[in-house]
Amino acid sequence: MSEFFSLTIAGVVTGAIYAVASSGLVVTYTTSGVFNFAHGAIGMFMAFTYWELRVHRGWPAPIALVVVLLILAPLLGAVIERLLIRNLDRRNVATSLVITIGLMVMFIGLAQSIWKPEVRDLRGFFAPHGFRMGGIFVTWHQVITLVLALTVAGFLWALLTRTRVGVAMRAVVDDRNLAALTGASPARVSQLAWAVGASLAALGGILIAPLIQLDVLILTILVINAYAAAMVGRLRSLPFTFLGALALGLAEAYAIGYAPVGGIWGGLRPSLPVLFLFVVLLVLPEERLRVGRFVGAKAPRVPSLRGSAAGAVALVAVTAVASTMLSAADIQRVGQGLAVGLIMLSLVLLIGYGGQVSLAQLTFAGLGAYAMAQWGGDGSPIGLLAAVAIAAPVGALVALPALRLRGLYLALATMAFAVLADNMVFNELFGYGGALEVGRLDLPGVSFDSQRAYLVLLAIAFGGMGMFVLAIRRGPFGRVLSAMGDSPAACATLGLDLTRTKLAVFSISAAMAGLAGALAAGLRTTAGPIDFQMLQGLPILLLAVVGGVTTVSGALVGGLALALLPVLQDRIPELAGLVFLLTGAAAMSLGKNPNGIAFMVSERLAPLLPGRRPETPQAGRSGHLDSVDSDRGGDGAGRVEAGEVTTVGAATG
Amino acid sequence: MALLQVDEVTVRFGGISALESATLDAESSRVTGLIGPNGAGKTTLFNVITGLQPPTAGRVHLEERDVTTVKPHRRARLGLGRTFQRLEVFGSLTARENVLVAGEIRRRWAGDDTDARARADELIDLVGLSGVADERVDALPTGPARLVELARALATRPKLLLLDEPGSGLNEEETEAFGSLLLRLAQEGLGILLVEHDVELVMRVCERIFVLDYGRIIAQGSAKEIQRNEAVKAAYLGTADDDGATTTHTKQRAAR
Repeated sequence: MSEFFSLTIAGVVTGAIYAVASSGLVVTYTTSGVFNFAHGAIGMFMAFTYWELRVHRGWPAPIALVVVLLILAPLLGAVIERLLIRNLDRRNVATSLVITIGLMVMFIGLAQSIWKPEVRDLRGFFAPHGFRMGGIFVTWHQVITLVLALTVAGFLWALLTRTRVGVAMRAVVDDRNLAALTGASPARVSQLAWAVGASLAALGGILIAPLIQLDVLILTILVINAYAAAMVGRLRSLPFTFLGALALGLAEAYAIGYAPVGGIWGGLRPSLPVLFLFVVLLVLPEERLRVGRFVGAKAPRVPSLRGSAAGAVALVAVTAVASTMLSAADIQRVGQGLAVGLIMLSLVLLIGYGGQVSLAQLTFAGLGAYAMAQWGGDGSPIGLLAAVAIAAPVGALVALPALRLRGLYLALATMAFAVLADNMVFNELFGYGGALEVGRLDLPGVSFDSQRAYLVLLAIAFGGMGMFVLAIRRGPFGRVLSAMGDSPAACATLGLDLTRTKLAVFSISAAMAGLAGALAAGLRTTAGPIDFQMLQGLPILLLAVVGGVTTVSGALVGGLALALLPVLQDRIPELAGLVFLLTGAAAMSLGKNPNGIAFMVSERLAPLLPGRRPETPQAGRSGHLDSVDSDRGGDGAGRVEAGEVTTVGAATG
Repeated sequence: MALLQVDEVTVRFGGISALESATLDAESSRVTGLIGPNGAGKTTLFNVITGLQPPTAGRVHLEERDVTTVKPHRRARLGLGRTFQRLEVFGSLTARENVLVAGEIRRRWAGDDTDARARADELIDLVGLSGVADERVDALPTGPARLVELARALATRPKLLLLDEPGSGLNEEETEAFGSLLLRLAQEGLGILLVEHDVELVMRVCERIFVLDYGRIIAQGSAKEIQRNEAVKAAYLGTADDDGATTTHTKQRAAR
């Protein structure tokens, strides 16, 4: 019985920390309309900063705390808001996701560069001291954590209901334009929210690090626990968020105490937040369709069948010629670029055409690699078929609960699924710390055994898949996807089942990623769990957008860029997180334009080519359509958010 | 039997009531008018009928079938089409593709094998957009863009078509042609529910008119009856030709 009580206390304490962190997430999301994927990374970075001051430099705890929580973290939050968030187009889920994911990846790179991997001891407050209460040992850190969580709850309640700026925050949640009319500046309010949010992330990080480990990746991924809890409050209500956090903390504590040890169960505890999240997703009511168009940057011209075939042939020819000149190491690198480019092609379909975001493409690639290892022995093409046959239905299963909801939820669910696969699936499939041998495709009469031949095969695969993606784009399904991107509400009034359409595009994209994974694994001829981790997938997503997620050439640019970054890393070994640092920075600076580098380059080149008229990209909406008077007022942005009438404050009361 | 029957629909946003017990019906082969000042709740009512806005109370029946909780795309498949006051065109597609994609969507759920391309060309001709058929719609002015929405809605072969201010952005001549088009469509059996500020157009094409004010239906009847109705005059029509008065009305509303 006393075990139960001490587990309960541990659970309540963990829950309290989750509550602190997730309330910061809710406050920033509701007031700025941008979901901060970097929330965990900010907490991580601030916890390391606290360690630096407290342990490494030996500052007294109270001073270090004040400096981190009340000066550095809020400052960081405010600066992020000013530089990245304020001018972000909130209506486009894809671009606003890419910015904060870029931020997250950059913080990982930064932390890895500043703090070299070593065991760092960050102890709890007054550890290991505590006291006995009814036979149970309670540490001072636990008591302080609870007190701080209650303080945060009280502070937020008072802020949102008792202060002018807090009331303005709630007004911004209701309607940004309306809030502007009442004299509150949405920008200032949103900046304050980001400052508060960063501070809460920091507090969460500092409190939880002693309980788990001061580790860059572990603390960064804690964002999933935070949003799993916040999802209970539909990312809006603070009381329900606190409730969700408490439930999650308790579930984790009991899992530690009572769940069987070892095997697949070993992955249970770290996977609990993910399972929790999927359950919540299933119960959340369906989102209402909103009227109010989003018109993104003008999509690039779609090449004709002949044009795309010419491009594919050119790619294969160039690769074949180049392969005779490249060194073995360079062949490996370019091959890696093409393989990553194949995964990015699946994102062109999903993000570029379908407007949906997945953070699990690398996971699907991992399933494809496993299928190839299992059923593609001796290079049998059955392995490729198996890759498609596994990735597509798994993709459908992952996406289904989230597709009824807003685009953001799909991104959250896929990220959670990717972590679930890291924890519970891939180790089982590939063996702990091990790897499986993957055969190279071997067609009757053609062998791709040599490194050179395999590189050409990858080029053929890229050309073929690129043509496939463009053929979809030109056909009826592509038209439906464009229509859905322009106005989901209008599509529904034409009789289109949006959920099924999104499910179809997600499954096709997952199947493509699976196929890409099977082919990519053939390049190295092995595949292991560490090749397909969620965090490794983020640079793929980011560079796909930077390269240009609306075009096939963008995927090629992005893939090659990601393959070449390690070359740079080799030159500057002292910056350990360089790949992440650069990818993150590139995403933050270029992520706002989904047409990316490939499109910019082709725009520059177009006037130089004879007989081709340049098409100027036209950001935003066209003027004359805008001048229409409205029944209810407000512009598109306001309308998109107007549905979220439940306020943080109303829910607090 | 009414094609559309809306029974005592109420919609409240927080404490504000956008519709209060609104009852209305529309028949096939007829144009039914729905008029009222800005902010009266016309678009909200359209959203309730098409399923984009769940009502706080009340029912919606389509051909005697209760569709109050039926999803928007299912209602569309039952024969409900609409256009939007704030345009919801597919801006990245051409005018012809806008209509074509609607036909292709219909083909998928209706399982018929009509030639969607030929049908799209027909409809583009019908609404008079042949000249701009291959221009991207986000490059079109409001008037033609509204006609794109009309043709797109017609491509799903609806039984009842809800038109939300289709005439705004059209010049006098175009409005004239547009009125004739509506009458022709009604003659062919289509039921039309028309929200429109152009009173002349409404009076010309509508057999029956409902007047909505502050979320309530304050009058219904023939064009003549509506023109004579005192409550309507007070709320709206008496000063309908006078834009200034309507604006004042809107301002009062905003101030509330």
